[in-house]
Amino acid sequence: MMRISLHNLSKYFGDVKAVDELTLQIQEGEFVALLGPSGCGKTTTLLTIAGFYRPTKGEVRFSDRVVNDLPPRERNIGMVFQSYALYPHMRVFDNITFPLKIKKVPKKHWGTKATEVAKLLEIADLMDRVPGQLSGGQQQRVALARSLVKEPDLLLLDEPLSNLDAKLRITMRAELKRLQKDLGITTIFVTHDQVEAMTMADRIALLEGGRLQQVGSPEELYDLPATLFVAGFIGTPPMNFVEVSLEEVEGRLFVTTEHFRFPLSNGIAQKVHRMATSREVVLGVRPEDITIGQGKIEGEVYVVEPLGRDTLVTLRIGALGFKVLAPPRFRVAIGERVQLAFSMERIQLFDKATERSLLL
Amino acid sequence: MWARARQWWNKVASYLVLGAVAAPFLTMYVSFFLRAFGKRMYLGVVPKEFGFANFQFLWRPIAWGLEQTTVWTALGNTVFFAVTSALAVTIICMLAGYALSRIEFRGKNFFLVLQLFLHAVPGQILLIAIFFLLFYIKLLHKIPGVALARASLEIPLGIWMAKGFFDGIPWDVERSAMIDGCTRFQVWYRVFLPLVKPGIAAVFIWGFLFAWHDFIYVYTLLPGTIKLMSTLIQSLLATEVIDYGYLAALSLIYMIPPLLLFVFLQRALLRVPVFGGKGV
Ligand SMILES: Nc1ncnc2c1ncn2[C@@H]1O[C@H](COP(=O)(O)OP(=O)(O)OP(=O)(O)O)[C@@H](O)[C@H]1O
Ligand SMILES: [Mg+2]
Repeated sequence: MMRISLHNLSKYFGDVKAVDELTLQIQEGEFVALLGPSGCGKTTTLLTIAGFYRPTKGEVRFSDRVVNDLPPRERNIGMVFQSYALYPHMRVFDNITFPLKIKKVPKKHWGTKATEVAKLLEIADLMDRVPGQLSGGQQQRVALARSLVKEPDLLLLDEPLSNLDAKLRITMRAELKRLQKDLGITTIFVTHDQVEAMTMADRIALLEGGRLQQVGSPEELYDLPATLFVAGFIGTPPMNFVEVSLEEVEGRLFVTTEHFRFPLSNGIAQKVHRMATSREVVLGVRPEDITIGQGKIEGEVYVVEPLGRDTLVTLRIGALGFKVLAPPRFRVAIGERVQLAFSMERIQLFDKATERSLLL
Repeated sequence: MWARARQWWNKVASYLVLGAVAAPFLTMYVSFFLRAFGKRMYLGVVPKEFGFANFQFLWRPIAWGLEQTTVWTALGNTVFFAVTSALAVTIICMLAGYALSRIEFRGKNFFLVLQLFLHAVPGQILLIAIFFLLFYIKLLHKIPGVALARASLEIPLGIWMAKGFFDGIPWDVERSAMIDGCTRFQVWYRVFLPLVKPGIAAVFIWGFLFAWHDFIYVYTLLPGTIKLMSTLIQSLLATEVIDYGYLAALSLIYMIPPLLLFVFLQRALLRVPVFGGKGV
């Protein structure tokens, strides 16, 4: 079991700053997701932690020991790659026991250890096949078995679910989360899928362009996104954004646009007072925080998309588009004019220039 | 009906053209076999009798000038020479190919271009330098020494071939092996070599063939008393009375080992591993 800390970790490839000044603490037994869009530096971070890349700047520490110069084989890490990277010329059994063979574990222990992990991952009956004869899901479990058989201190997973079909992905999401909790191995999980990160991780570190945007529990990232980017990245359908200005009338703060105007609640107004440096701000409202049928703001129904569990309604307020999650079987006609209200305690406000939240 | 006839004619025409192109080569091979097994040639081409009379050298010594050897000694020498040379080519190319495929170091691209350049240099112009080199390291006039010198000619392109095979293995497989505890050498030996078996076979066959057919290095750097098949055939050509049937039979024996090698390594040549998953 191990604590990991990244301290100002940077990895540059020539001019490309793949990872830039990343500082992150990971506790013993914690399940952390590295989340971000393609090319944001997730894999690079993982490979640097594993020891394949030497940090350009900064440090990787395993339980207080700086390991910048420790080769991968001495780090006792288990890793599952996006492509699974099984050894195509070896049977499943030989794939799983390969780390034991290299570590010179006596041969008589291989059988029991392999059977143990194989049982855990339900691949015991695949032992004699070669990887070419396995489905994607089976390959993934073999790769996981291979990484677990050496009882690693740290497990690194690089988009392990992205090659699976949608249904299997949902099953494996739960399985993997349960497995991690049962084994208690500190785990870093890379994904570009925010749902995967939200559902599985204890904490999420959201990266963009090599920089850490925010780290926190899934709820923290969802309820109080630190930047415009985080707000837009987390949640489906995504948060609605409108450029608005702040106005102070008789000691009350108002949000105004051409089309609507409303006062901020006291709690939010206090924070904004403290943080705001300009009147130009961006308002963010999640689709589920808008109610149709009450309130003073008026809009027109643009399109209605039934999703089964709820209904996605797109509204127009002047030139602005809003996505709203309405109850299932909610019926309105296209073109109909409706009233709507925002849940005042759940709105987000960001500085337009710095794109940072005004509510932190 | 017309379409059928046309189709038929197209087929026939293509066979005729291919036949015409192949004819000279076919004639050569046919006459080669006829000569090897024929006796008392009619018009110098058509044998009147068939038999193994030309193959008497298989159990009798072969003489030229005042000296003699046996075909088995010459074959043994040639196998020793070609296998040594092929092993040297294979081992060096597999090591160098891996390094050039996976390890970053200064001057790597220069080195790669240099290899191509070296490959373009004809082997003959190096003969004098190699003669002195072998002399000083006391390997001149010895089969292993000359085999190594011969190997150096095939190594440049062989390195490129080997690099190509290793380039085809995904990085993640290498990283997996390192995570699993392998040193660089173990990655090469335990994971990469088994994966490029067809490549190893190809490089080995290639090194073997060039050495097997070599004449100029063997002729120049080995003493006249050590005969390989190529130099043996040459000395028989240099005698006053040339027995073509005898030469054809000897050449036939010369051809057999490379063919056998192909048959034995065919399985390895055709077994290409399949990498699973995407993102490779
Ligand atoms: N070996 C390398 N040499 C040069 N640039 C690299 C190298 N590896 C990654 N990069 C660059 O660094 C950035 C981050 O790459 P990285 O692979 O870490 O992204 P990622 O977040 O894993 O993306 P994805 O979700 O597509 O896998 C990219 O701009 C990429 O082009
Ligand atoms: Mg990646």
